[in-house]
Amino acid sequence: MKVSQDLVSDVAEVLLSEEQIAAKVAELGQRISADYAGRELTLVSVLKGSLPFMADLMRRITLPLRIDLMEVSSYGGTATESSGLVRILKDLSAPIDDQDVLIVEDIIDTGLTLNYLIRYLKGKNPRSIKVCSLLDKPARRLVDIPIDYVGFEIPDAFVVGYGLDFGEVYRNLRFVGVLRPEAYES
Amino acid sequence: MTEAVSAPGQRSDCAFAHASEAEFGRILDFYQVAWNYEPTTFPILWDLDGNVLESFAPDFYLPELDLFVELTTLQQRLVRKKNRKVRRLRELYPSLRIKLFYARDFRALMLKYGRSALVSELSGTMGQVVPHHESDLEPDDRPLGLDRSAAPNHAAFDLKPDGDAGQRPERRSRNARRRAIRKAAALANVPATI
Repeated sequence: MKVSQDLVSDVAEVLLSEEQIAAKVAELGQRISADYAGRELTLVSVLKGSLPFMADLMRRITLPLRIDLMEVSSYGGTATESSGLVRILKDLSAPIDDQDVLIVEDIIDTGLTLNYLIRYLKGKNPRSIKVCSLLDKPARRLVDIPIDYVGFEIPDAFVVGYGLDFGEVYRNLRFVGVLRPEAYES
Repeated sequence: MTEAVSAPGQRSDCAFAHASEAEFGRILDFYQVAWNYEPTTFPILWDLDGNVLESFAPDFYLPELDLFVELTTLQQRLVRKKNRKVRRLRELYPSLRIKLFYARDFRALMLKYGRSALVSELSGTMGQVVPHHESDLEPDDRPLGLDRSAAPNHAAFDLKPDGDAGQRPERRSRNARRRAIRKAAALANVPATI
């Protein structure tokens, strides 16, 4: 994969500007603060893509909360090297039983990872599990999972930035943009 | 409609007609989503006597999600045929949930999983080994000797080879499917079990 030194030049179009993202994150934070008032909330961020979103969102929620991080293996990387099954690469660092859990995702497309994650977390007996995703790409959905908090519904394009990568690159862009086909076809 | 008896899929014990289907099965396996390969054949066209003229067997059924998935990574002419069949299926069986996965959807999936280099091998003509499914062929394209004497109105409908004329396409199909499994396994770097 050939990556330009100027990451921005690999982006065909800015889909969501830094300002648009910040405004939406503030709005989501407000809604979540209202909905969970008086309750014990645990945010679970799914590494690595949701890291910037998690960092911004948690600072927009006005309630006392805990955070935790999880990482789930993705198909393709290790699929044919190990058992060929999805694995938890990093588990929660504390129990979540009887807690209200909010899964924080960067993007939901097929819903396959989220479907697995919810099933896994339900086994840990939380009081409730809800999902907050910055981006939703419904055109790609295979598993219909209710998403309780959605930032933006986006068109069917390959997007990078604000945590989203291609080949582990572009995560540090401050906006969400559509990657030029030349960037992934090269 | 016809329901074949098959356990939820495992990647290597299934005779896929197309390499993209084998890859899709592996993705579902990876995320522990149960599936069956072409478990149900739906009649979609009958003649005036009630004989089934045309039927459609979606590629995958995901029982936990109650969802059929049809992959169409083939050439445009066949995609149009499939679109028409899926439209007809939805008209006749409105409660049925079916998701059509086009070539662009499959490409995006491969891109997401960092396997874009495999797209050309797994898509379109390159990945196609046999006519996708006998029931996907247009009435005029079907091999001779298929049993079209099934009962009308959504009743059971079996596509069975009839005599020598029916056996030859079946033999070719099985060998071709074996080649497809080997090819898919080689691409995924896993042993092929036939």
